[in-house]
Amino acid sequence: MTDWPTAQLDPIRQLRVLAGVLPGVGLVERVLDSPYERVWSFLADLERSVPAFDPMVRSLRVLARDGEQLTVATQMPHLPFPLRFQVELRDGWCLMRSRPYLVGMAAVPLPGDRTHYAHLEGLPVRGLPVLRPLRPLFRRVVTGDINGISRALGPRPPGQ
Amino acid sequence: MELQELVRAAQRGDPLAMAALLRALAPYVGRICGAIALADGDDAMQETMVQVLRHLRSLREPAALQGWVRRIAVREALKLARARTRQVPVEQVAEQAADDQPGLRLELVDTLRQLSPDQRAVLVLRDLEGFTEAETAGLLSIEVGTVKSRLHRARRAFRDRWQP
Repeated sequence: MTDWPTAQLDPIRQLRVLAGVLPGVGLVERVLDSPYERVWSFLADLERSVPAFDPMVRSLRVLARDGEQLTVATQMPHLPFPLRFQVELRDGWCLMRSRPYLVGMAAVPLPGDRTHYAHLEGLPVRGLPVLRPLRPLFRRVVTGDINGISRALGPRPPGQ
Repeated sequence: MELQELVRAAQRGDPLAMAALLRALAPYVGRICGAIALADGDDAMQETMVQVLRHLRSLREPAALQGWVRRIAVREALKLARARTRQVPVEQVAEQAADDQPGLRLELVDTLRQLSPDQRAVLVLRDLEGFTEAETAGLLSIEVGTVKSRLHRARRAFRDRWQP
């Protein structure tokens, strides 16, 4: 027999799994009223998108790129030095990890030219339930970032 | 990165390694969860991956990863499939429209739906994964005789469906 039914773990579910094992992160999901291609082409341009939607990032610079692996440096307003992130960037998926901070972005297309978007931020530390109370704080941070993404995308252009 | 190296890095808590491990395991876990949990396969797969990463540090030998993951996937898929069976009467299960997949796959899914979750688990481990009856019994913590009877009923359902 061939062609057995196969389950899938799309990028949104991958991010949910990480949120399920990292107690110090906040995850928020939202349906964006923009086509997937528009959302992801904006987000994947990290140097432009991240400073546009995240008020904690003054600038982001790509230092190195090897296929889906990037090294980037972000400049925060209150930090005297740039923070380096190892980044994994592919269609619908972006995971940015520095020693003290983790950012995850995932998107899948929805019918009607809309996009299911998930965003995660927090401390990349596993197995410390004591960090769990930080989740609401990071969810508020993430909600602000998603609001910023919605604003940056703007209203749906006529005809889309 | 080699799989064993990936497991070690994920055990140390590296989120990038965890994500890479999810993708490496996805085809295998997806096959087990999809065939046992059917419509709940994606949820079973997600829960399997949470359990895998949550308990990864208890895996002492990375070479044993696949067998360890298999046990978790079968357990999580059975849990969700049994819960659905309790919620949905059998006659409704048989009448549910199959996925949006055409042809043989639709018939296969429809036939699988008419089996109990436990029968599907035996069928998956014996006919999809190729385990012996004794190995299947060990994996499911049941007697070999129970494996034989469940397998007999499952295969008969397929014969009834496809043989004139």
